[in-house]
Amino acid sequence: MTATTDAAVLERVTKRYDSLTAVGHLSLRIRQGALFGLLGPNGAGKTTTLRMLMRILIPDEGSIQVLGEPLSEQAQDRIGYLPEERGLYPRMQVRKLLVFLGALKGLPESEANRRARDWLERLQLADWSEKKVIDLSKGMQQKVQFIAAVIHRPPLLILDEPFTGLDPINAVVLKDIMLELREQGSTIILSTHRMEQVEMMCDSICLINQGQNVLQGELQVIKKSYGKNTVRIECSDDGAFLKQVPTLIQSVNHFGAVIEAKLHPGSDPQEVLKAAVEGGVRVTRFELMEPSLNDIFIERVSDAHA
Amino acid sequence: MRKIWLIIKREYVTRVRTKGFVIATVALPSLTVALFIVSILIAMHEVDHTLNVAILDNNGDLAAAIKRGLDRKLANGQPAFRVVESQVRPASEELVRGEWRVAVRSGQLDGYLVVPPDVAAGTPVEFHTKNAANFAVTEDLDRVVTNAVIGLRLNQSGARVDKVAEIVRGVDLKLMRITEHDEKEEKGQTFIVAVSMTMILYTTLVMYGVSTMRSVLEEKTTRTMEVLISAARPFHLMAGKILGVGAVGFTQYLVWALSAALITTYGAAVAASLKVHASLPQIYIPSSLLIYFVVYFLLGYFLYASFFASVGAAASNEHDAQQLQWPVTLPLIFSFIMFNFILRDPNSDTAVGLSLVPFFTPILMLLRISAETPPFWQIGLSILLTLLATVGVVYLSARIYRVGVLMYGKRPSVVELWRWLRYS
Repeated sequence: MTATTDAAVLERVTKRYDSLTAVGHLSLRIRQGALFGLLGPNGAGKTTTLRMLMRILIPDEGSIQVLGEPLSEQAQDRIGYLPEERGLYPRMQVRKLLVFLGALKGLPESEANRRARDWLERLQLADWSEKKVIDLSKGMQQKVQFIAAVIHRPPLLILDEPFTGLDPINAVVLKDIMLELREQGSTIILSTHRMEQVEMMCDSICLINQGQNVLQGELQVIKKSYGKNTVRIECSDDGAFLKQVPTLIQSVNHFGAVIEAKLHPGSDPQEVLKAAVEGGVRVTRFELMEPSLNDIFIERVSDAHA
Repeated sequence: MRKIWLIIKREYVTRVRTKGFVIATVALPSLTVALFIVSILIAMHEVDHTLNVAILDNNGDLAAAIKRGLDRKLANGQPAFRVVESQVRPASEELVRGEWRVAVRSGQLDGYLVVPPDVAAGTPVEFHTKNAANFAVTEDLDRVVTNAVIGLRLNQSGARVDKVAEIVRGVDLKLMRITEHDEKEEKGQTFIVAVSMTMILYTTLVMYGVSTMRSVLEEKTTRTMEVLISAARPFHLMAGKILGVGAVGFTQYLVWALSAALITTYGAAVAASLKVHASLPQIYIPSSLLIYFVVYFLLGYFLYASFFASVGAAASNEHDAQQLQWPVTLPLIFSFIMFNFILRDPNSDTAVGLSLVPFFTPILMLLRISAETPPFWQIGLSILLTLLATVGVVYLSARIYRVGVLMYGKRPSVVELWRWLRYS
């Protein structure tokens, strides 16, 4: 397998629920070693796509290749999966459950046991390893679920909303592990609503809406293609001066302390600054920047609905 | 195969360790032992003292004969009755009666018989006692008095008879049951065996079936299913679960069978050492019947467990499951109701026909076999038909299971529910 092999390829994949098309002719290429963000509004078809990758759902049309081969039971064993809806046997001991799930993914039980201990140690759950799942807090269960997804060191890891229910500290721990796994060569597909996380972690993304691929590519390239069309301003004013130059500004986004203004194509940001100075506003920060993923997301999705 | 094995193992180990399993497994033999002990205790205390009785004979010829007849011995070897006093045609009957009434009230006497002068003509004999509910005693007295009166009548008609009891003793009807290989004396054990086996089969089929259903349902409600299904195929999960729960059932059977063996072996010894004539039924169950029992349990279990499993997969909560399981339990209940009908004539056309319907086969065919071994072609055909039906149900259930999994986690819309129904 060469470095350019794709970890997952979807070709015109379609999944319908009677009249509703959850995913329609979706084509995706996920480069090996990528940390891939699958984005989309609620009901866009993210979970359906991931379930098809996991062979939980069978596509009505199209084909899926994973790790260089068509989906099969053997291929399934080489994927780690953290479902959006958590599911663990509530009355099983944490460690035994992990050993069972690890063994089900093909690990010898002794090895699964060793790794379960290591992971529980690392995620500060060692004291809970002999407790029943039901006795654990939501956040702890979430970490156990995460261990279940990675215990067999899968070359491909699919994480559906991995950060829900985690406090910031544990979210960082999980993020670090994900980056580390990518260093070790795993490909990670991450589905989430949290744009800032994707923006910081992912190298490539796909935005889907209503089951369609709306935008796909390397994150940096996508952002560059939008150009530096946004100014971020911190000033003494609530941004009323921006209304004086409607020809320059396409939209304004107030964040309280910060104002982000998107410029019309071809507008000179310099003119905006000029308007501020002329309006007697004290500017403490004026930054020309690429649009945030959040903006791109909102723009693309609302375009589609328009 | 490895995955099925892992699933079986998990199912088995977690189940066998639950309190419910331990209680159910231990409770049944314990209850049996407790019942056994209680029955021994009762046997030991059964009318444990000799009854002191008196006879007031206004006829004059009966007191001696009755006294001779009251010769029954208690379990502890003591006589059951002691005739402390006999009054033959006393001067004042009222006086004697009054005296004895006081004696009975004070406990010196347990009761007294009053024989009327014209007893031979059919006037009843009276027994006066405080405890009028001791049927063993009244039965004894009835027999003894009847024999004495018959003797009297025979004497009056000119026949000289000393041993009336010998002459009027009835003849028992000994029931012999002809089977394929031999004949055996029948004391109702066929009925007992048939009842017990059917009961056990019915109870365990429902019990383990519901277990399987709950287990599938639990995986759905706790949403463990999606994790499992990402690691194993639905068929593996289904097969592993059914086999795992089945293995738990077998363990339970094994414990019960062993304790039954221990109870019958040591129980008899315990009873003997306590000098109790405990009436342990000597039940002989032919090994062929035991084998058929296992065969029909397995067939029935696989048939019904996959049915129950699909109910678990189709339902999304306990309430739904309870409503959906009704049609599954119906054929079981029906076969159980047919019990008496089948036993009355195990080879009637209806019995044969019903026992060949796969859903009734496990219970009804076993019932027929325990009553009267049917022709082998019927047994063979019933096994074949049930196997075919099982394959069909497993196939159907796997589909429902698969659809249940598909529907899992989605907020089911009307459209989806319709699609689900079409699938199943």
